[in-house]
Amino acid sequence: MSAVCVLTPVVIASWPAIATAVAGVAASMGFSMASANYTLKRDDTADARTSVETEIAQSEVTDQVASNQPIRIQRGGVTIEFARDSRGRCTVCTSGEGHSKAELRRIGEEVAGRLVQQFAYHKLMTELKQRNYDIIETQVSQDDTIHVRVRAHGSPA
Amino acid sequence: MSQPEIDIRIGADGKVHVRVEGSQGEQCMALADLIRDIVGVEESREKTAEYFGPGAVVYRHAEARLRHHP
Repeated sequence: MSAVCVLTPVVIASWPAIATAVAGVAASMGFSMASANYTLKRDDTADARTSVETEIAQSEVTDQVASNQPIRIQRGGVTIEFARDSRGRCTVCTSGEGHSKAELRRIGEEVAGRLVQQFAYHKLMTELKQRNYDIIETQVSQDDTIHVRVRAHGSPA
Repeated sequence: MSQPEIDIRIGADGKVHVRVEGSQGEQCMALADLIRDIVGVEESREKTAEYFGPGAVVYRHAEARLRHHP
């Protein structure tokens, strides 16, 4: 090998690109997409459902559509809502009945990490294919790490 | 000469580990820069022996502490 580096993804994207990453998160973590007309019952939220908000630090949603159209996914009694906050950052709100705040925070942070992972994966695949790089291998390991091997053609384009 | 390859591992926490193989010098750095520019912010980068060419050896810092015995 000749160089090794560690990168932190920056999620700057339109809402449709976030939606694509959310679909990847749902598929890989066993969540299902909540129907478009699903709404959290605010009374239930206040009384029985605990909720925790996680912010994706290095993120910016570039359009305002998200403010009106949050995306929700569900698994068991847990609902995750992806939205855009007032500063334009992507937020992950985790709620569920019968779950502690700590438990919901852990789920929310795991989902937030997976959203960044899916976003980075889709962005890399799109941009490397546009540059005609060969994707020679893609695997997902048991710890859910996505492994991609790319063949470059001489100097980068 | 074989073409360079890039090994990319995207962790479940979103962190991306990149290893450029089969290239040296500027070309190697340019490939690492390309992935960085697509993904985001670079936390660390390390050049390894192959970067410097055949026969090169990379010495890593080793910190030695003297123990003072009474």
